[in-house]
Amino acid sequence: MTVTASATPRRAPRPAFLLPLLFVLALASLALAIFLGVVDLDPSDTLAALTGHGSPEARAIILDIRLPRIFTGMLAGIHFALAGLLLQSITRNPLADPSLMGVSQGAMLAVSGFLVLSVYSHDTGSTTLQELPVQWLPLIGTFGGLAAGGFIYLIAFRRDLGPLRITLCGIAVGAVLHAIGIGLMAGWGSGRLEVLLEWFSGSLYARGWQHALFLLPFTVAGLAVLPIIRRPLELLRFDATVARSFGLSYRVQFSVVLLVACALAASAVGVIGPVVFVGLIVPHMARSLARQQTRIVLPLTIALGAIVMTLADLAGRLTGGAEEIPIGVVTAICGVPLLVALLRKTP
Amino acid sequence: MLTATNLSICYGPRKALDGFNIALAPGEIRALIGPNGSGKSTALQGMAGLVKPEAGAVTIDGAPMSVMTRREIAHRLSFLPQQPTAPDEMTVEQLVRQGRFAHVGLFRRYRREDEDAIAWALESTGLAPLAERPLSALSGGERQRAWISAALAQEAKVLLLDEPTTFLDIGYQIEVLDLVHRLSRERGVTVVMAIHDLNQAMSIADRITLMEKGRVVFDGTSDALAESGLIEQVFRVEGRFVQIAPDGPPHFDVHLKRWSGKRGFESAKHAPAS
Repeated sequence: MTVTASATPRRAPRPAFLLPLLFVLALASLALAIFLGVVDLDPSDTLAALTGHGSPEARAIILDIRLPRIFTGMLAGIHFALAGLLLQSITRNPLADPSLMGVSQGAMLAVSGFLVLSVYSHDTGSTTLQELPVQWLPLIGTFGGLAAGGFIYLIAFRRDLGPLRITLCGIAVGAVLHAIGIGLMAGWGSGRLEVLLEWFSGSLYARGWQHALFLLPFTVAGLAVLPIIRRPLELLRFDATVARSFGLSYRVQFSVVLLVACALAASAVGVIGPVVFVGLIVPHMARSLARQQTRIVLPLTIALGAIVMTLADLAGRLTGGAEEIPIGVVTAICGVPLLVALLRKTP
Repeated sequence: MLTATNLSICYGPRKALDGFNIALAPGEIRALIGPNGSGKSTALQGMAGLVKPEAGAVTIDGAPMSVMTRREIAHRLSFLPQQPTAPDEMTVEQLVRQGRFAHVGLFRRYRREDEDAIAWALESTGLAPLAERPLSALSGGERQRAWISAALAQEAKVLLLDEPTTFLDIGYQIEVLDLVHRLSRERGVTVVMAIHDLNQAMSIADRITLMEKGRVVFDGTSDALAESGLIEQVFRVEGRFVQIAPDGPPHFDVHLKRWSGKRGFESAKHAPAS
């Protein structure tokens, strides 16, 4: 008998100050990311630059390099984390993340295909990313990711649209796309390989305001849909039979949530490349912090997505020195122990 | 109330339900019995509008179910499948709260009437003290009651239960049956349940529907079923109906064919070890 457990009920603790705390944490990580960097700037100089004064050098570093990079990272972090939460809910698979739906692989294939084409249609010698038409990469990547997600959706939809079917289709299609993408890279030649490697590992290097602005409409649209899908999202975690008996139009809601997740993930992958583990870990962190307060899992996921991304990028910038470590590598290295810790906590 | 006329459902080439007919009176308890694979679950899913029928129609309160949205159906009917699963960390109260989705929809706040329905559903299943427990920490019987509680919170007039007592020990089985009976008599809820125990079916149900190979072979009272001789035929058993209490339901006593050969327990005991 578990009389003792009910005598001292483990009430979900402190949800009241959990959210404000995370908000403060988000601001703190933002401040840290602005004030710290490879180039040592005087804090007062940084402050002056933020208000539009200060030396031209400080203004350039803060306003044109650090700030847009931080914002791009925050938005992408929110995208990855939300997409992970949505996919984990509807596939009822705690290991789901954007790569599960073939989104990352689709974006990867589209980007590598596009670069191959543009290299061979332009003149030779374009061996650096800057000389290539990189401004198109976000759009191409987003398109590729969405196309892959849509394709998987269609082949799963032809029969019964279930979480297991869509997971298996996602893994199969993702593997094929990945193989073709790698094939293109290998066939492309070693000299040009480096160009893609940075994007493939997920990087915020040289991301500017145009990238943040590219992501922003997706973020706004995704956040705007959340109040609509909040309740369906809880019901989608049940069997289809149960959810439908409770009154949910399963196919419609499943499709809407899947579309939102794919759009968020594809746009983020398009801009900074496939950053692993953020989509997987952050929802688990949010759940374990929220305990049974399922209501705050969504806002926690959003806040944590931004914080984790900002801090991971800061760590990559600082530890690597001039040769910074791509954020995808940082999240992968930090993600594994975090995942193990979370797994140990779950009974 | 709920009626199904000539309902046929196919799974691929196999016809799982073949011309199924049922008409329910308000507040009645109907037991659906039959061998494994006779189409009891399919009939329930068809009545709940969860499977698209090949032919036939289901109407509820006179309106055809085929043109209703899931929420409109859930207003009138709640269905509890066999062995439903829920997210692990979900608490009893959170599960029961989902039962109100048909009423609150996507946006509406939970009003007083919703909270009252949730409280009543928890109370009448005896789960109020366990409301904050995660489902994973409950016993089998408590979990089954939690699911019934969620179905109750829906406040539908028709309740379909697919083998609600399977995998429960006899104590919990009776608890669930008592609850079903009380709902029908106190709140006028119409109940259809698939059930394996013949004697429980005969003692709780107002009418019994017996199925075989997707077809209805009997529809009537327990006494009529006892006289029909269909049980022995459909389930391929031998036995007899006995009356235990003068005005109680009939009781089916199964005859076990006991092995009477020489190589029984005694000879096995003395068999040389190999």
